[in-house]
Amino acid sequence: MTTNPLTQEVSSGRPPASRRRSSPHKRAIAVFVLPFGVLFSLFYAIPVGYAVWQSLLKVEREGTFGVAREVFGGFSQYEQVFSNAPFWNSVGRVLTFGAVQVPVMLGLALIFALLLDSPLVKGKKFFRLAFFVPYAVPGVVAAIMWGFLYSPNLSPFKAVTENVAFLSADLVLWAIANVVTWVYVGYNMLIIYSSLLAIPTEIYEAARLDGAGQLRIAWSVKIPLVMPAILLTTVFSIIGTLQLLAEPQVFRSFSSAVTSSYTPNLTIYSTSSIPNFSLAAAFSVVLAVATFILSFTFLKVTQRKGNK
Amino acid sequence: MKTKNRAISVALLTVIALAGCSSTEPTSTDASGPANPATSKECQPATGNVELTFTTWVPGMDTVVALWNEQNPDIQVTVQTGPNGNGGTYQNFFNQLKAGNAPDLGQIEYDALPNFRVQDGLVNLGVCADVLAAQDEFVGWTWNQVSFGEEGNVYGIPQDAGPMAMFYRKDLFEQNNIPVPTTWAEYQDAAVKIKELGGYITNFSQSDINQFAGFVWQAGGSWFQNDGTSWSVGLTSPESIKVADYWQGLIDDGLVSANPPWTDEWNNAYNTGSDWTWISAVWGANSISAGAPATAGNWAVAPMPQWNAGDNAAGNWGGSSTAVFKGTENVYEAAKFALWLNTSDEALTALNKAANLYPATVAGANLPALKEGVEFYGGQAIYDVFAQASTQVNPDFTWGPTMTQVYADASDGFKAAVSGGGTLADALTATQDSTITTLKSQAIPVKE
Repeated sequence: MTTNPLTQEVSSGRPPASRRRSSPHKRAIAVFVLPFGVLFSLFYAIPVGYAVWQSLLKVEREGTFGVAREVFGGFSQYEQVFSNAPFWNSVGRVLTFGAVQVPVMLGLALIFALLLDSPLVKGKKFFRLAFFVPYAVPGVVAAIMWGFLYSPNLSPFKAVTENVAFLSADLVLWAIANVVTWVYVGYNMLIIYSSLLAIPTEIYEAARLDGAGQLRIAWSVKIPLVMPAILLTTVFSIIGTLQLLAEPQVFRSFSSAVTSSYTPNLTIYSTSSIPNFSLAAAFSVVLAVATFILSFTFLKVTQRKGNK
Repeated sequence: MKTKNRAISVALLTVIALAGCSSTEPTSTDASGPANPATSKECQPATGNVELTFTTWVPGMDTVVALWNEQNPDIQVTVQTGPNGNGGTYQNFFNQLKAGNAPDLGQIEYDALPNFRVQDGLVNLGVCADVLAAQDEFVGWTWNQVSFGEEGNVYGIPQDAGPMAMFYRKDLFEQNNIPVPTTWAEYQDAAVKIKELGGYITNFSQSDINQFAGFVWQAGGSWFQNDGTSWSVGLTSPESIKVADYWQGLIDDGLVSANPPWTDEWNNAYNTGSDWTWISAVWGANSISAGAPATAGNWAVAPMPQWNAGDNAAGNWGGSSTAVFKGTENVYEAAKFALWLNTSDEALTALNKAANLYPATVAGANLPALKEGVEFYGGQAIYDVFAQASTQVNPDFTWGPTMTQVYADASDGFKAAVSGGGTLADALTATQDSTITTLKSQAIPVKE
């Protein structure tokens, strides 16, 4: 998701200047915008621009230990990106991952949020916190902990893990999906739940007057009204899926099935440790554009549906 | 108006960003400057006090450096610790070099030195007369690793060596009347007997390729050759394939376990007596005693099994150097410290006590600390075995300039092989190809 605003703004910035009106608050606006502008450019626009620039360079040298010169290489790095089969395999892998994991995770998040919002459930504060706690566990720690639980000989659930090879090539992707789901269900639940809290109670009263029960209210009132929140979490999840790094990186050390190019971001990481910064930058730009296209397409498609 | 301003700011930022990058261009060529002409001007003592930073992952290094700091108030060294090299520290070094804020000194294993040299990250310590004069203090092959066999060039001070031998469960071999193998053929026979008893002779290291490289090293192979004008890649050399086929045989017959190395599962396999031997480097003594404490006193060390009975070849696994990074302003002091750290009796003794490092110096083999029996190994003077192995290491093994990539790709293939997808030889063939591609993408001349 790194380059999209830039490209978006560059392309939308074309229309000729018109309707210029001098504002009396110009200075105030500048003062308020400046802190954001500085941070945005320092930590976002400039790094993104630098990555794009880096991706257009290539290395030249003479001799076996000649000093490298970085020269403009046009799209030569991109040629390598598009002919790199492991990278595209890994993109396919995370898409498969996302197609299963995102609906499961958001489905659970929605169910938990609706349960928390239901007047029938006791101890809401406790459950709200309990569901959210995994998100407070750093991703790496969560992956290490689950790796231990999956471990064939050391797991506290040895009876299961001795017979089911969670870390094998067939299952490890879903073992990772389980970790990601465990971490992020609570987070997504909270977003959906806060959106549920924002629904005016009059609507529920009206629904009840019409004779709707709790299930009916949930299905016909609550879910349609929190749809924007669900869409938002879906976009976040798509982005998160394509950028999967920490969990597979940790699993790599104890699973034979996780390779150095298991996910797109792992490929980028391994490429930058060659170190081949230009190729890594090109991978990153392609991944960012792909992520942008995917999230944008998803938004467009769902918005069109909503407008019908 | 809003959009126009945004467009302007974006355009401006892009210009700044591009200007920012292009302005770094001249500095990178500057740094390349005179690579070889060794003027001693570059190795002059500084006036006044000097502060150096040293990044390492060797446990206990801070206590060793504290000895130096006490004796050298004018050259104070600060130790920074990180994960082991391929575990993240090399990546940090590369990033720091690119950003221009690398530490003065860094721990670099021999296999990674070519990688740092090709990225122009290292000071050639050949500019310091003291360093050149120290050559004879080091075991020949370790000096070869840091000088790349080139007269007058030194890219790091050798610190330790990793001559390999066989750690084995003396008690189990004796109880079951299995002779301790001296050849690889006997090793396989023993593996079959151990399998019948429900154990494994060893664990095949699927993701730490260095062990396998050590086997190839012993067999007389070399993964890279540099003839001065181009590299040749020898991952599929006959020696390399011979070793791969041997281990593939053990894997196919289920004679070895395949726990990923350096994990709790792996420690557990040794601690519970399921795995019986480990062919490893001298520093491995520490790994076993730390990872398998329940087996204290039951281990012993013997020379590596040989390909032909009566041969005397040893492999090497690991060993590292203290290198000085480009960008330091104090080459003289950094070299002085690195020499003390890796040649003085007190530092070498302290490093051995703290991390079982085996000195790369000739005299180091005679340190009193390396003559003592080790309790964990039933009182055996295990370093004697390694001292002998150290003299049997082939001096001509050469590492390539993209070892991180070689390890990552070989490990991907080896992992597949232990899970039944392809063979070790397939993995080496694939890595041979990807290595050539990577060298080309770095514009490093390579023979195909």
